[in-house]
Amino acid sequence: MTGTPSSALVLRVCALAVAIVFFQIGVVSEVPVFGVNADLTPLLVAFVGLLGGATLGAACGFAVGLLVDLTLLQTLGVTSLVFTLVGYWAGRLRELRDPQAALTPLLVGAAGAATALVGYSTMEFLLGVDAPVSLELLRQIVLGIVVDTLVAVPMWAVVRRTLEGALPEDPRRRRRRRAYTTGGLSPLSKA
Amino acid sequence: MLALLVVLSLLLLTAYFGESSGGGLHGVQRTFLSVVSPIQDGANKALKPVRDLFGWFGDTFHAKGQRDELRKQIDKLRPELIAAQAEKRNYQQLLALYHLNQLGVSAYHPVPATVVGKSPTFWYSTVTIDKGSPDGVRVNDPVVNGEGLVGKVVAVESDGAQVDLITDSSMGVSARIGTSNATGIVQPKVGDPNDLLLQYLPANTKVNKGEYVVTSGTVSGSGDSLYPSGLLIGQVISENEESAYTSVNVRPIANLHNLDVVEVLTAPANGTASGLKSLIASLPPGQNQETTAQGEQLASTGAGG
Repeated sequence: MTGTPSSALVLRVCALAVAIVFFQIGVVSEVPVFGVNADLTPLLVAFVGLLGGATLGAACGFAVGLLVDLTLLQTLGVTSLVFTLVGYWAGRLRELRDPQAALTPLLVGAAGAATALVGYSTMEFLLGVDAPVSLELLRQIVLGIVVDTLVAVPMWAVVRRTLEGALPEDPRRRRRRRAYTTGGLSPLSKA
Repeated sequence: MLALLVVLSLLLLTAYFGESSGGGLHGVQRTFLSVVSPIQDGANKALKPVRDLFGWFGDTFHAKGQRDELRKQIDKLRPELIAAQAEKRNYQQLLALYHLNQLGVSAYHPVPATVVGKSPTFWYSTVTIDKGSPDGVRVNDPVVNGEGLVGKVVAVESDGAQVDLITDSSMGVSARIGTSNATGIVQPKVGDPNDLLLQYLPANTKVNKGEYVVTSGTVSGSGDSLYPSGLLIGQVISENEESAYTSVNVRPIANLHNLDVVEVLTAPANGTASGLKSLIASLPPGQNQETTAQGEQLASTGAGG
C-alpha cells in the first residue's frame, strides 16, 4: 500500500493507538514480567506499518511517540523519532518483501521492540542522561525485547483484527494469490 | 514523508531540549497532561480489575519464587542452626565444668574429653571418650560433667577410653546424703537402669526427699574410694523401708542420656578429698540438710568405689 490511507483506516489506527497507549500506561506498565515491563507501543507501530505500509507506519509511529512523550512528560520528539523509524521500516518491509511466513509478526515484533529499546537508550545517552552503560541496563534491554516478543503474537492479532476491514487490498498480493491458485497462468491464457 | 516526520521529530527534540521548563513546549505538554489526566484516571479505574488480574498472576509467581527462595534459605540455615545449638550445648556443659573446677575439682587434674560413642543397648550404660592414656587417663579414673558424677573409666586405649556410667549394673559408689556422715552405696536400681539406689544406710537415718547425694570419698576396708569427696550424684526421690538398713531411691543429677563433654579426674583422690567441701556448701539451701544419722561406715569400694 503506497497510496494515501483511507480516513476509515486512519480513524481506526488513531483509536487503536489511543487505546493501546492508555492500556500500556494504565495496566501493562504496572505489571512487571521477569522484572521488566512489556511495551506494546513499538509493537503497535511495527504492526501498523506491516499492515498499512511505510507512510502509515511512519505517521503512526510519530503520532504514538508524540502521545507517549506528552502523556509521560518525556522529552518531546525522542519517542516520535524512534517510533517513526520503526513504523517506516516495518512498512518498507511489507512493501519490498511482503513476508508471508507465520513467524513474521513475531520477528517483526522482536525487531521493532529491539529497535525501539536500543534507539531510545541511544537517544537518551546522546542527550546526556547521567547513567552508565551497565550490565543491568543491557539485561533490562534484552529482557524487554524477550517480553515484547512474547506479547507480539496477541498484539498482532489485535492490530490485524482492528484494521482488517479498513485495509485496501494490495494489487501485488492479489496477483500473487491468483498466481498461486492458477499455477502462474492467467485464466484467459488457458482458453 | 519519512524525512518530514524525522525532521519534525528532531525539531521538537531540539526545541524541547533547548528551552527552559517554563517554555512553550513544556507548557503544551502540561496542558495536554491536564486534559488527559481525567481520562487517564478514568481509564485507570476502569482497567483496575484487569491490572489486578495481571497483578495477581504476577504476585503468585513472585510469591512462589519467594517461597522457593525462603526454602533454600531454610535448607541453608538449618545445618547452621543445628551446629549453633550443638555449640551452645557444649558451651553450657563446658561452663558447668568450669564452675565445677572453680569449686575444687581442678585439684584432681581434670582432663576435658568429648564423648564420641555411646552404647546403643539398654543394658550397657557405657560411653567412649576421645582421651586416652597419652592424656593421663587411667582405668578407674572418675568421670564427671558439669552436673556431677558420670561414671568411671574401665578401659583405656591410646586414642580413647571407655567409661561405665553410674547407671551401669557393674557400678557401685560410696556415697552419703548431703553433708551427713550417713553413708551407703549407690548402685543402679534393679529393673530401672535410669534410677539409682542408695543402700546400706543406717536404719535410723532420716532422709528427706530432694536431698542431694554426693560421693563420700571415704572408705573403710579394702581400699580408698576412687571418687573425690563431694561429687554430686543425684537427688533423693523416695525412701524404702527395710529391716536392717535404710535405702533411698536416687535420680541421677547428670543427664546421662545427653553427654557431650565430660572431664576425667586423673589425679588420685588421696589427700585431696577435702577439695570439694565447697561444692557441698554451694548446694541450694533446704536440700542440703544435715542428717542425724551417725552410723558405722558401710560403704566400701566393693564394685568399684
